[in-house]
Amino acid sequence: MNNQTPLLEIKDLNVAFSTEKAVIPAVRDANLTVYPGQTVAIVGESGSGKSTTAHAIIDLLPGTGKITSGQILFEGKDLIQASKDEMVDLRGASIGLVPQDPMSNLNPLWKIGFQIKEVLQAHDVCHGKEADARVVELLQEAGLPDAEKRAKQYPHEFSGGMRQRALIAIGLAARPKLLIADEPTSALDVTVQKQILDHMDHLTDSLGFAILLITHDLGLASERADHLVVMYKGQIVESGPALEILQDPQHPYTQRLVASAPSLASQRLSSVQARAEVREKAVQTAEEVAAEVAESSENFGKGTDTIVSAKNLTKVFKLPGDRPWSPTDFVAVDNVSFDLKRGTTMAIVGESGSGKSTVARMVLKLLDPTEGDVEFDGVDISSLKRKDLLKFRREMQPIFQNPYASLDPTYSIYRSIVEPLATHGIGNDDEREAKVRDLLDKVSLPSSVMRRFPNELSGGQRQRVAIARALALDPAVVICDEAVSALDVLVQAQILELLNDLQAELGLSYLFITHDLAVVRQIADNVLVMQDGKVVEAAAVTEVFTNPREEYTRKLLDAIPGASIPLAGTR
Amino acid sequence: MWWYVGKRLLQTIPVILGATLLIYAMVFLMPGDPIKALFGDKPVNETAVQQLREQYNLNDPFLLQWLKFLQGAVTGDFGQSYTGRPVSEVVANAFPVTIKLAVMALIIEMLLGVTAGTIAGMRKGKLFDSTMLVTSLLVIAVPIFVFAFMAQLVFGVKLNWVSPTVGGDASFQRLILPAIVLGLVSFAYILRLTRTSVAENLALDHVRTARAKGLSDGRVTRVHVLRNSLIPVVTFLGADLGGLMAGAVVTEGIFNIPGVGNLAFQAVQRGETPTVVAVITILVLVYVATSLIVDLIYALLDPRIRYA
Amino acid sequence: MPENTRPGQQRYVAPLEETPLQEVDQLDTSAPPTSLWKDAWRQLRRNPMFIASAILLTFLVIVIAFPGFFTDEPPRKCVLARSYGPAESGHLFGFDRQGCDVFSRTLYGARASVAVGVITTSLIVLIGTIAGAFAGFYGKLVDTVISRTADIFFAIPLLLAAIVILQVVTNRFPDRGFWGGVSAVVGALALFGWPQITRIMRGSVLEVKNLEFVDAARAIGATPRRNLFRHIIPNAIAPVIVTATVSLGIIIVAEATLSFLGIGLPKSVVSWGNDISAATILVRSGDHIQVMLIPAVALMLTVLSFILLGDAVKDALDPKARKR
Repeated sequence: MNNQTPLLEIKDLNVAFSTEKAVIPAVRDANLTVYPGQTVAIVGESGSGKSTTAHAIIDLLPGTGKITSGQILFEGKDLIQASKDEMVDLRGASIGLVPQDPMSNLNPLWKIGFQIKEVLQAHDVCHGKEADARVVELLQEAGLPDAEKRAKQYPHEFSGGMRQRALIAIGLAARPKLLIADEPTSALDVTVQKQILDHMDHLTDSLGFAILLITHDLGLASERADHLVVMYKGQIVESGPALEILQDPQHPYTQRLVASAPSLASQRLSSVQARAEVREKAVQTAEEVAAEVAESSENFGKGTDTIVSAKNLTKVFKLPGDRPWSPTDFVAVDNVSFDLKRGTTMAIVGESGSGKSTVARMVLKLLDPTEGDVEFDGVDISSLKRKDLLKFRREMQPIFQNPYASLDPTYSIYRSIVEPLATHGIGNDDEREAKVRDLLDKVSLPSSVMRRFPNELSGGQRQRVAIARALALDPAVVICDEAVSALDVLVQAQILELLNDLQAELGLSYLFITHDLAVVRQIADNVLVMQDGKVVEAAAVTEVFTNPREEYTRKLLDAIPGASIPLAGTR
Repeated sequence: MWWYVGKRLLQTIPVILGATLLIYAMVFLMPGDPIKALFGDKPVNETAVQQLREQYNLNDPFLLQWLKFLQGAVTGDFGQSYTGRPVSEVVANAFPVTIKLAVMALIIEMLLGVTAGTIAGMRKGKLFDSTMLVTSLLVIAVPIFVFAFMAQLVFGVKLNWVSPTVGGDASFQRLILPAIVLGLVSFAYILRLTRTSVAENLALDHVRTARAKGLSDGRVTRVHVLRNSLIPVVTFLGADLGGLMAGAVVTEGIFNIPGVGNLAFQAVQRGETPTVVAVITILVLVYVATSLIVDLIYALLDPRIRYA
Repeated sequence: MPENTRPGQQRYVAPLEETPLQEVDQLDTSAPPTSLWKDAWRQLRRNPMFIASAILLTFLVIVIAFPGFFTDEPPRKCVLARSYGPAESGHLFGFDRQGCDVFSRTLYGARASVAVGVITTSLIVLIGTIAGAFAGFYGKLVDTVISRTADIFFAIPLLLAAIVILQVVTNRFPDRGFWGGVSAVVGALALFGWPQITRIMRGSVLEVKNLEFVDAARAIGATPRRNLFRHIIPNAIAPVIVTATVSLGIIIVAEATLSFLGIGLPKSVVSWGNDISAATILVRSGDHIQVMLIPAVALMLTVLSFILLGDAVKDALDPKARKR
């Protein structure tokens, strides 16, 4: 097998799922080639068919999925015609799979070592004690320290990154020629993601296998792959050398992707300029609002410039320790302070466990701090009771991460948005309906959506409803807790644009919690970087990106996939 | 794991205390005179009444009554049955037979239920699955005594494969039919539970990963689906034992098996409250103990608890 | 770079007519609005199990409300001379030992059994839902008290507890009549049936209370109680509904067994349990089996329809089918 013969050739592949009512095509006329030792990436949003294509290769389509036509040639042989036994032999030994979610893809009841050994035994690579030794080697190869001890442990004793390494070890155990990596790092922290992908690059170099990388992240794909395939709604819309596609996208969809992908967009001067404009307008509107507040005695707050001030916030949780009578202290947030100025956006950035969400909840007064205070517009919120508390609630509203859980499924859209008005007794029925219409208009949703229920809307649409609900009380501050993290790239870009527009129009101030540093540049003015509950760096966004002071911040910036790729219109 | 074990053990104590108190309260807090009721329709002899009052501590305040009852329960002294022999002795003689019956029922229901449930779960929606589903529903929808009588009639009288009643000779052959009847409802539940569990597990991500490794279908089922599916069944068994005990009352009564259930059955028929209370208290204590053991076995089986 | 000239990997751009672009995140405005419950209802309507049970249950309701519609013979008109008489016109299934019309007794017997089932289940659901919701929502001391209490009641198997209570009741109140009998059975079963619902509700509430819309409601200013009743309970109650429908059936079966033991509804009450158990002595001889079979089949069909209903509702409310 020389490097001129394709390892994998997919020709005119069609895959469809059958439901009760109809047959729904998931992949249409897909054509794809992978050469030995190459890394090819399939990029697309959810519903693009990228995962379906990958699973079709090894005949592991879920549920009612079937290949309806086409060829899948692996080393010249059509896999669609292969017998069941032939496929069983092929899986693992010729084509390996590294699946997406490390939390659900390992059997919780068997040791890690056992699950890797199975691959070796099934393909007669080795057995017994020899296999045990090989398992340890494989885990080390996958980058897991202390491999001998770890092989005897269970999945629940591993962190997410460690589990992913175990899955990589499983995928490579029988030395396949092709490794299908289905979003292998999207469930992991950015820094861990970079480590694992770097490691996989290193393995490809030393072992020479080809990778078919499935991802939604265009930046990541172009960084790691030589050849890129872009899929949209089940079809391949563009393919070619990665760099060419990035620098000169031809299909309108690819152009959209390149324009919206945060890791790439954040590079552009244009997005930085756009942000500056938004901020100017927002600060101006906010100043007008502040002047009003300062004058009237009815409104909550004093009308100062600093709308939220957090001072020495600390939160300690008591967790069950080794013995039932001695709980251990877990310091989730350690002495965090910051000031949010009216009309601006402060981003709090950190990986999982950094404490950023806990800070947001303390600011929202959904959680009481162990130490420290939060001041809203000059008023200390820790001692607020009843009527004053209600007034405060009107000024600060949240938008949460999971669009599928942030709206009550038993409430119609109208009811969800009107609930804040009803709780605070604002307006009569007609006035409330008018307000709801107005809000839906602001978030670019048709008013007919009022009678619908959350289960009929997509993730992006639900987030818009959540935004409309958050704005119902005309708050001054909106806390966005990973509000765009669960959305597809293009939808994410839309929502960010919406948030920016609303900020300029209404003079809102945002506290933007996120793990994605790339998004920060498009939406924030100031950044707080957190790690393990502490503030690592606090600075203006422009400074953090051009001149990061701390080691950790530099690590985070480095880990942004695609950050190093030169694009048109970047500096 | 010790967290779990400790918590579980600690829970058992208030449960035993509370349960015995509850049983005692149910009987002796009822309106009406308990002693007069013991006589039922028969004429009331005043001296006998006083004697019985003393014997059952009914002249003491309620809590003291309960404590003395508890004391008796712990030391194994449950008073005397109407035949004059101590209840504890009668129960001790009858227990082995009931244990034999219960174990047989358990084995039958587990083997059949898990096997049928697994096959049904793997072939969800197909003929076998639908048949099993309907069968299990029919079994649950019919009272156990109807099954017992029908079984007696069909297999004992009409077909004469087995003897219709057991009587003194509680051998394995004679206990097979009653064991099947006793385990019937539990079999239906285990079948449904296994079926759902297997069907759910088959769709899980880690099963797909197992297939992607190149493992044969058989191995995937045995190693990655079955073991995971059986854990809820183990949990169910704990609660099921309670149902088996209740079922034993009816089954032993109908098949005339000299076990603990029959004791209760006869005592209920004769209106012998003290014996009923004694037997049921013992059964409850046994149930609490076996529940505890089942929960501990579960802790051993699930590594997420064992190595928490 | 030499790589991009290899066959199969040249630059490719799909023609726009074949791959048209849609608006990002388009909303389907044509379909009529439907809620979770409406979705569930639509799925139910198509489920054969549901249709079967709905038909049976409707029939059951008619029988309970208007038994005279189906038979002229009063259930208590028992002429000893007709003992074990065969089927005749107007008496579909013949006569039992006392000479009562089997068909008539079976029709009228529905009331007692279903009354026990419905009242017990209603009580269990009421108590269990509130107890479970409070335990799950407020946690800490409330949870400990409710859960330990539930544990204690749970420790005594349902039928055994019922045997103890009803045995005493039967001894002391032999002439308790219809409502006395029903109350006793209902009381015994409800007293030991609520822990199961409590546990289910508690588990469900624990899951729901961590969902983000609960936090969103708090941030709006909703009081915890308002949150509990308006957001948490409606979203947590689905498993309770499923279990309750199945429990209804099981309770009816339990009542029959208790009647067989002689401690269920008093013998003076016309009920399936009483009729079946009275007829079981027939089984020894194997004659006139329909005297036992008819009420037994009626009971079985009723219980079956409740359990089928429960299964169908469970499938319709399956959370995996909720997300689009």
